[in-house]
Amino acid sequence: MSLNDKLKDLRANGIDEAKRAERIQELNDLRVNLLGKKGPITKALRGMKDVPAEERPEIGTLANNVKQDIQSAIEEKMEELNRKIVAQKLEEETIDVTLPAQPSKYGTRHILNQTIEDIEEFFIGLGYRVDAGNEVEEDHYNFERLNIPQNHPARDMQDTFYLTDELLMRTQTSAQEGRDMESHDFSKGPLKVISPGVVYRRDDDDATHSHQFHQIEGLVVDKNVSMADLKGTLEALCRHVFGAEREIRFRPSYFPFTEPSVEVDVSCFNCGGKGCRICKYTGWIEVLGAGLSHPNVLEMSGIDSTVYSGFAFGLGPERFAMLKYGVNDIRDFYLNDVRFLEQFKGVN
Amino acid sequence: MKISVNWLKEYIPVTHTVDEMANKISLTGIESAPVHNGEGLDKLVVGHITSIKPHPDSDHLNITTVDVGEDEDKQIVCGAPNVANDQYVIVALHGAHLPEGKRIKRGKIRGEESDGMICGLDEIGVPVKYVPEAYHNGIYVFPEAVTPGTDALTALGLDDDMVDMDITPNRADTLGMRGAAWEIGATYDEKPSFTDAKIDESKVKENSDLTIEVENKELVPDFMVRVLKNVTVGESPLWMQRRLWNQNIQPVNNVIDAANYTMIEYGQPIQAYDLDKLENDSITVMNAHSGDKFTVDDGTNKVLNNNDLIVKSGDEILGLAGVAGGINARVTAETKNVVLESAVFDGAVVRKAAQRHDLRGDASNRFEKGVDNGAVSDALLRATQLVDENTNADEISQEIVGSYTEAKPTVIQGKISHINHLMGLELSSDEILNILDRLGFETKLDGDDLTVTVPTRRWDMSIEADVVEEVIRIYGYENLKGTLPAGMETAGGYSPKREFSNRLRNILLGQGMDEVINFALMNKQEAADFNVINTNYTKLLHPMTEDHEVLRTSLIPGLINNVAYNQARNNNDISIFEQARIFDRKDGVDRPKEVEYIAGAVSGNIAMDSWNTTAKAVDFYNVKAIVEELLSFANLDADFDYVATDKISNLHPGQTAEIIADGQAVGFIGKLHPDYQKEHSINDTFVFELNVDTLFGMEKRNVQAQTAPKYPSVSRDLAILVGKDIESGTLVKDIFANGGKYLSEVNIFDVYQGKNIKSNHKSLGYHLEFLNPEATLTDDQVEKAFDIIKDSLVQKFNVEIR
Repeated sequence: MSLNDKLKDLRANGIDEAKRAERIQELNDLRVNLLGKKGPITKALRGMKDVPAEERPEIGTLANNVKQDIQSAIEEKMEELNRKIVAQKLEEETIDVTLPAQPSKYGTRHILNQTIEDIEEFFIGLGYRVDAGNEVEEDHYNFERLNIPQNHPARDMQDTFYLTDELLMRTQTSAQEGRDMESHDFSKGPLKVISPGVVYRRDDDDATHSHQFHQIEGLVVDKNVSMADLKGTLEALCRHVFGAEREIRFRPSYFPFTEPSVEVDVSCFNCGGKGCRICKYTGWIEVLGAGLSHPNVLEMSGIDSTVYSGFAFGLGPERFAMLKYGVNDIRDFYLNDVRFLEQFKGVN
Repeated sequence: MKISVNWLKEYIPVTHTVDEMANKISLTGIESAPVHNGEGLDKLVVGHITSIKPHPDSDHLNITTVDVGEDEDKQIVCGAPNVANDQYVIVALHGAHLPEGKRIKRGKIRGEESDGMICGLDEIGVPVKYVPEAYHNGIYVFPEAVTPGTDALTALGLDDDMVDMDITPNRADTLGMRGAAWEIGATYDEKPSFTDAKIDESKVKENSDLTIEVENKELVPDFMVRVLKNVTVGESPLWMQRRLWNQNIQPVNNVIDAANYTMIEYGQPIQAYDLDKLENDSITVMNAHSGDKFTVDDGTNKVLNNNDLIVKSGDEILGLAGVAGGINARVTAETKNVVLESAVFDGAVVRKAAQRHDLRGDASNRFEKGVDNGAVSDALLRATQLVDENTNADEISQEIVGSYTEAKPTVIQGKISHINHLMGLELSSDEILNILDRLGFETKLDGDDLTVTVPTRRWDMSIEADVVEEVIRIYGYENLKGTLPAGMETAGGYSPKREFSNRLRNILLGQGMDEVINFALMNKQEAADFNVINTNYTKLLHPMTEDHEVLRTSLIPGLINNVAYNQARNNNDISIFEQARIFDRKDGVDRPKEVEYIAGAVSGNIAMDSWNTTAKAVDFYNVKAIVEELLSFANLDADFDYVATDKISNLHPGQTAEIIADGQAVGFIGKLHPDYQKEHSINDTFVFELNVDTLFGMEKRNVQAQTAPKYPSVSRDLAILVGKDIESGTLVKDIFANGGKYLSEVNIFDVYQGKNIKSNHKSLGYHLEFLNPEATLTDDQVEKAFDIIKDSLVQKFNVEIR
């Protein structure tokens, strides 16, 4: 057999063997066996000396081609086998993604605090300070400074837990108004503050009453504060809390420490104002009380009521949360059943 | 107060439905709801009984024939004891609808045809307590002839549409029909017109024998009476009665009814006494003596105290002023001579007396909120007129005055510009004057200066801000456009302390703990269980229940209640925290300090049995890990020590540590005592509590950035045998004290006690890391430091190096 034919034979066999290989090792062996220094190609080329000189370049080229072709066939097969191995590994590693994970729990903030914080952050964005105030308060700040003297009928509206004749559990976060007003330096700009916190009333606990609950008081005092400013502020609040499409309305009311005083209704977020069970078929839901600071209240803090005016509002986080999430019993907030608490994960 | 539209029409034109009116009044003045009386009732007519005979088959039934305005009389069987011939009665015809879904059908009663039913007032919806006494056990009989076939509901006023106004305490001026007419009139721009009260002057006699003395004129600024002689007490006319029962007032007789009617009309309570039952010819208004006994006209007995104002004649108490009449001088059917009283009593005194004696009613409600002292005399005149018209007195006295205070209108000064400014509106002065005129206020304008003269009926008005409210509400809040305050910009935000406590709270949330909110008021036992700070209790003067009597001195009792509540509901794995105040009252002061605390409780498993995990119950170290992470995020420049303590009651004496920051106690962590757990029916529970205020007050870490080290660390393991009472914390401190500046970390990897270890000893394994951020450490350097560490441990703690 001529050297030429021998090389072509080797090529055909080599490529065939590479294609038939089933394992990487076989290919590596094949490479060493066919293309190595002791392999048949090298061996065959030793017969070069018997080839006439003019044919030698052709044979040389052929030998290189044969080596290359075998090499390519091995590499191609190698790649194919590698792909198979990866595919198999992936197949073996496939898991049931529907199996449950081990819990990596983030705790749930109490829904009342979520509600409070949402409102706090809204007002912080409008430049309000947050000042929590005291839960044990003097009668003076809780009543007298709010224009509610002894024997005022308004004291009937909120029966009070007294500690002594002078000390009581505050019945309203408005108790902070006097302290905020008298300590504010108006040369540094307007007073804008909200006071969130716990208040206490002498009530029997039932589905709609709790002897302890929360309030958020808001107070702005400056030279040009008007009823229109109060309306705009509460409009923005109600839209933030209850949805961008909400409207609000004012109804005249009475609080000793504001004049004029209003109750604020928000258009029903459930029915959009058409009337439903939640809004008792009125289209409106009462959400807070507000008004312009009573001149007596300003004057008692040493603020000239002919120059300055202010507005104040008070809202109940319990009521907000009950409305927004359909909580029917205020006691649920204080029983702290974790199944109740955890349903509010991430709502605010 | 419920405002009858029919009655209101006497003062102003009314063209709207009660639903529209209630809505409008709510938006401009007083929260109101429509009332539709008689809804769902029908086929009720007035009947005239034309004959009556006993039922042949019954000892109490009668067979009547009744003219109901149809061609033929109806035969109706009636069982009422008071039925009689020639009565005008309420007849429910065949097919009539009565309250609560009741229906009347023609039928036979013991064999006799009965074509309808003769009714009592209570059967057609008037609550029994407002039905005149005489008709409590039987049918209602009209006091006068009414055309048979007339709609009975109309005749009785029971189809009256009404607006129920739920007044705020400042608007008691609308607790009378006249005041309400002013208010509603202003809303609709209709001025009310009233007919003045007038008495038959020919009956007025110059003198009366009665004298009046008012002892404390400050509490009784107005007190006046009139005497009517030789009256005929009987039933009031129907028109008066129906207006009373629609006001939830029971008609009694034509004197008392006239007094009550005047109260509804004028808002001024009127009291009537039987002149002949007075002990003598004088009436004294004075404070009671403590212990005085008083019997109310309904027969209940009260013991008075010296804060109670009473109306007296001689030693006889006629009434508790402004609150209730007594039984002694009550006007009855036999009364011949009547005293009518119209007065103003101090609101606070009346309010307290009414509360004290549980006698709040129509009169006390008005006095405590205030009455128009400009109408006291007019109301008395009106009551006198009505009593006279009802009873045909022979003689009427002049007004006998015990005390009198001139009623002066309130004059308020304001500025148009300031009023607009406060409203955020730009109304013209004409618009403002027009609104004030609608309310019946007189105005005078001088440039920007406004003078408003407010009639005495609006005693709630005193300052410019009150004028602002009147103008803006009548103008209509719906016309007010919202704006935001336009003043100087302010930087809002939380206080630094609140920022700090928010951070602590976020760490606990991140550790998977749910936040709870508990009551600050607890029972004495709960407060005593965890008075860890050993402070004085702060108690309520008048607690409502023993459960909420004392302010908490720790958050732990609340958390334990939560664990118990949850575990009783099979929520066994609990991890909760609370951030709130405790109340720390020092000796000799009344006011407790309010101190922010954060506390947690963990119970049950922290890992669950699952397809790839096994359950793991919480232990001390899990909770310690939470606290350590919390404290590291507190970012304090302090070293924290966990010092074992057996001094906290209700905690496990062997699994409790006080947390000390640079010598200062900041809290504790521990397992509940098994006895305590048993008592509260809870599983193994670990708690911690930290004083947020103390932590907040401590020096913060001053962080100066360091480049992360480029050189590798070198480690050594240290195994020792040591007496079992020596705490690892102590050893680690010593290791650090002697480890030199390159010792960077000491971690314990093994604790063993038991088999193969000397008794009373334990084996500990520590992994030490040495690091020089500037250069590679040599073995020599490390070995030297390691030797010093070991030597010290051997010397001080007698350890065996293994």
